[in-house]
Amino acid sequence: MAAPVNVDQEDEIVRLSGIVKRFGGAQALSGASLAVKRGTVHGLVGQNGAGKSTLIKLLAGLHQADEGQIEIDGIAYGALTPPQVEHLGIHFIHQDRLLVPTFTVGEALFLGREPRIAGTPFLDRKLMRQKSAEILDRYFGLRLPNSALIGDLTAAEKQIVQITRALLDGPKVLVFDEPTAALVRREAELLFGLIRRLRDEGITIHYISHYLSEIVDLCDTVTVLRNGRDVATLPVVGTSAKDIGTLMVNRDIAELYPKPQVSLGEPLLQLDRLALADRYADVSLTLHKGEVLGLTGLLGSGAKELVRTLFGLESPTAGTVTIHGETVLCPNPAAATAKRLALVPEDRRRDGVALDLSVTENITLASLDRFSRAGLLDRAVEKRQASALIERLQIKTDSADALVRTLSGGNQQKVAIAKWLSRQSEIYLLDEPSVGVDIAAKVEIYTLIGELAERGAGVIVLSSDIEELLGITDRVLVFFRGKISRDFISAETRPEQILAEVTGANETLRHAG
Amino acid sequence: MPAQSSHPVAAVLRGFARYALVAAFAGVFAIFAAIAPSFLSGANLLSVLVNNFTLLAIVAIAMTFAVSAGGIDLSVGTAIDFSSFAFVSLVLAGQPVPLAILGGLAGGILVGLFNALLISGIGISPFLATLGTLFVGRSAQQLLTNGGNPVYLPPSGIPEAFRLLGHGTIAGVPAPLVIAFGIIVVAWLILARTRFGRVNLATGIQASVVRYSGLALPRYTAATYVLVSLIAAVAGLIVTSTVTVYIPSSGNAFLLNAIGATFIGTTLDPNGRPNIPGTVLGVLLLSIVANGLLLSGLNFYWQQVATGLLIFTVLAIGFANRKAGARA
Amino acid sequence: MLVDTSYPPPSLDGFNSPAHAAEGTPKPVHGRSLAAVALRQGSLAVFIGVLVYFSFAAPFFLSIGNIGNVLGQSAIAGVLAIGLTVVIIAGGSNVVTGGIDLSLAANMGLSAAVYASLVQAGYGDGLAVAGALGTGLLIGAVNAAAITLAGIVPLLATLAVMNIVAGLELVLTQNTVVPAATDFLSALSAAGPFGIPVLAFVLLGFTALAAGVVQYTPLGLRLYAVGEFPEAARAAGLRVKLFITGAFLASGLCGGFAGILSVSYLSGSTTGAGDMLLPVVVTALLGSVFSRRLLPTIGGTLLATLFVSFLINGFQLLNISSTLVSGVQGLLILLVVSATTLLQRKGNQ
Repeated sequence: MAAPVNVDQEDEIVRLSGIVKRFGGAQALSGASLAVKRGTVHGLVGQNGAGKSTLIKLLAGLHQADEGQIEIDGIAYGALTPPQVEHLGIHFIHQDRLLVPTFTVGEALFLGREPRIAGTPFLDRKLMRQKSAEILDRYFGLRLPNSALIGDLTAAEKQIVQITRALLDGPKVLVFDEPTAALVRREAELLFGLIRRLRDEGITIHYISHYLSEIVDLCDTVTVLRNGRDVATLPVVGTSAKDIGTLMVNRDIAELYPKPQVSLGEPLLQLDRLALADRYADVSLTLHKGEVLGLTGLLGSGAKELVRTLFGLESPTAGTVTIHGETVLCPNPAAATAKRLALVPEDRRRDGVALDLSVTENITLASLDRFSRAGLLDRAVEKRQASALIERLQIKTDSADALVRTLSGGNQQKVAIAKWLSRQSEIYLLDEPSVGVDIAAKVEIYTLIGELAERGAGVIVLSSDIEELLGITDRVLVFFRGKISRDFISAETRPEQILAEVTGANETLRHAG
Repeated sequence: MPAQSSHPVAAVLRGFARYALVAAFAGVFAIFAAIAPSFLSGANLLSVLVNNFTLLAIVAIAMTFAVSAGGIDLSVGTAIDFSSFAFVSLVLAGQPVPLAILGGLAGGILVGLFNALLISGIGISPFLATLGTLFVGRSAQQLLTNGGNPVYLPPSGIPEAFRLLGHGTIAGVPAPLVIAFGIIVVAWLILARTRFGRVNLATGIQASVVRYSGLALPRYTAATYVLVSLIAAVAGLIVTSTVTVYIPSSGNAFLLNAIGATFIGTTLDPNGRPNIPGTVLGVLLLSIVANGLLLSGLNFYWQQVATGLLIFTVLAIGFANRKAGARA
Repeated sequence: MLVDTSYPPPSLDGFNSPAHAAEGTPKPVHGRSLAAVALRQGSLAVFIGVLVYFSFAAPFFLSIGNIGNVLGQSAIAGVLAIGLTVVIIAGGSNVVTGGIDLSLAANMGLSAAVYASLVQAGYGDGLAVAGALGTGLLIGAVNAAAITLAGIVPLLATLAVMNIVAGLELVLTQNTVVPAATDFLSALSAAGPFGIPVLAFVLLGFTALAAGVVQYTPLGLRLYAVGEFPEAARAAGLRVKLFITGAFLASGLCGGFAGILSVSYLSGSTTGAGDMLLPVVVTALLGSVFSRRLLPTIGGTLLATLFVSFLINGFQLLNISSTLVSGVQGLLILLVVSATTLLQRKGNQ
């Protein structure tokens, strides 16, 4: 591991030192420091709850520090306000792209600083159109029709529009907050190229991400936050993702995946040449009792669509689904849950848990029948069941009646899983189960998946985190262009092999050979 | 997450705001008792319940189901009218009363089915769908009644059994009040204690989770709007029995107060959820205000202003409190 | 460098596209904007078709006098619908949590009553105009405060204010007609150039003014941003609450202005202003089908207002019962909204 860097103070454009921030009784930051050198790409990593977002919000002027000092360009500021931050040339590219979907690109770019036709109060739409087309083309090689609305653009295009908005102000520092969360890999690589180019033009980049590989690829320096303070600032050269990860969690990543040995039982779910229009075809597989099966593939490879089909959200166009040896049809989720299928969806906060229902109400939502006596809900039994599951899954909540909104991401995810445990589901479909969950909660969720298998359930995990998949599954099926391209035994496979299969590198080789 | 402010004064204020509705009710009650001696008399309080409370309570309870499911039903009045029209037409056609009552309920349910088709089948937002139903229903009634003429039940031909619905007593209690009370209890059980009620609430809070939990969302939504119109249809039958006439498009008179009572009622719940006790308390508040202002001898038109101001104040305190709660 | 060479413009949709693009999967939005075009053209075609039909069936329909009359009769509803449109733009299209102003019609009633009462009390038109506009503005201010300060959802806040305002109108007029006749009022309700009512010119002028501000200035653009995506507006440095407040003030002012027009049109203030509410809501919502992006616009609202007025007028000329009008309005909104919903759903698949 490399030694901490000594940054020349005069070269620092942003310097936060000894920042303390409390929310009520909870201490979000306890003496965190961060120094970003001019003209570099500086990464910031940390688990959820380490204080990343609080630190960024302080810099954005959205929170005020209780203690500590913020220096920008060598000038100290007690408290910052958002307009002041913008005035100082610091711009934020948010993960949820803040652009009006019904606006044209020109309108979105110039919102808040619209050009007027000289001598009139009217918008100069022609100038907005021309200027935005010119900037996008010259800077990014991006040509869009004049009438294109933001809502029509891809995630990457929207991001470019947002970066352009910031560039129009001649920024000194661009802060990217989880910019790749909604991008596919190639889009992300384009973004990285763009970021390097901006850096070469003298703009300082501050880059916050969950993905350590991105940090290693992209950044010059990285600061690791843990428990509200910075534990290290390192040059990225000579540092591996694993080193950074170890600093973040303070324990070895290998301990992450507690996979119990479970002997497989009888076949639970069998698919025979299942197909869905132009999404996937010829998918045959068997899931046994006690088995954890991994699926992975690029966006559009068909893996996600397969999971949706199994849960009745899409209707297959060919092939059969057999559960317990009986051919079944699941035209909707109601039919699927009746066959004891369970889905933990990727968009947890939209589809997985109801944020404004209580923990108990969420846990029992899919199994209300079990708590009905003569048509009325027996709330004592309902509460007992919920409390038992809260205990078993170690869901951290003030009470069983607290709104799920008040829980952390990991605990929300446990509630989403508990909902199906309460229904005594048998086949679990988990779509990206650990996204947006901190590492401690991840381990708990992995343990839970192992327990499900031990109790004889069948689990299908769809994930784009390949290490995770290999760590927690028995087998991994790779989807490529709508087909299962290969079947791996997890214990005997290295991540690179899967990665090659996922991206189709092997495909090319095979064709060439 | 910022923790809740622990300042004692803030806590007291929050507690007060949470019970703004109860406080308003008690305050209004005390003021009227003080300024209008006849207000507290048994006869007057009974009259409040019979004349002001019953019908609005039934319609507001119907509305509560729609609001709880995250929607609204602007066509409750249309269901009332259709129920009344179907009933009156069947009686005039010489049909027996029980059949006419069933016909009346069916007339109301027709409106609900139409809404269900629009909302659950096509996917139109409830506000727009029921607004459309309201307009189409108004036109349909005018066509059916030759441009909007009232249809009277012949004084001689009103069966005694039906008069009881609006004018009779059960064990000394006016029949409409008994019916309203029955509907309140059943509605409370349905909303708070059944699977349907829970799913209805979850739909209003986050519909896509209901779908992803394997619950047949379209069927629940359809059932909600049919239930709303069925309850409204009962109100239609009671109105008809009381006034023995069907007046086209008269049911809309309840619409705004029903919405008002439902949302006033949400201030009673710590999470701002629509709930039957809250709705009933909201209707009671509106009822005693109407009655008390009448007794107070205040100019009739000022009464409407005073009522409006009171609703406004309760809503403002309730919502401001919820906003503060969300921030804490 | 990657950026310069490695992707084909215009789209960055790259990584997953081999399987995707090969099958020519259309971008969902594409279907939607096609549908929007179809809907917009369809609505215009229906509008024109209805006009053509009436002009054949009732030759008087197309005469300048008749068109002028229809325009004049639409003035009050048009001004109210424009006020509501501004609120819907700033509040977003979700009717329950977004922008709606249910107090507009009652506002018009009270403003008219204030005007007529001031005239009755012997004050001049100047003070009466100020009184009516001030009343409208005050109502708008109360709405704005209830929504931005107390945080009441607009549907409820304006519902409560509507009740109060309607009550105040009754207090002021004792539920009677208050006649008012001044030179200014008669000039407003008289016929202008070409025998077309002055009110028709007022409507067109007012629409042009409102459209100029909303559709063609930075202020208007920001209003849309606030309504469509408040977070984005906030990120662009806009003060969202200020815009919402402004929208309700504008709508209140429209109510006051409509009140003046109605005193002129009816030679006094009358009861029953509240009946205008739902037709105005329907009109403002219908108007969005006339815009490219299916958003509420001032021009679209004017077209929708005129469409409904021409329908009523045509029915009258053809001796069709005017009771059908509300039915047609209801069916129109259901048709339009169903079409939008179904087309969007299809586009999304």
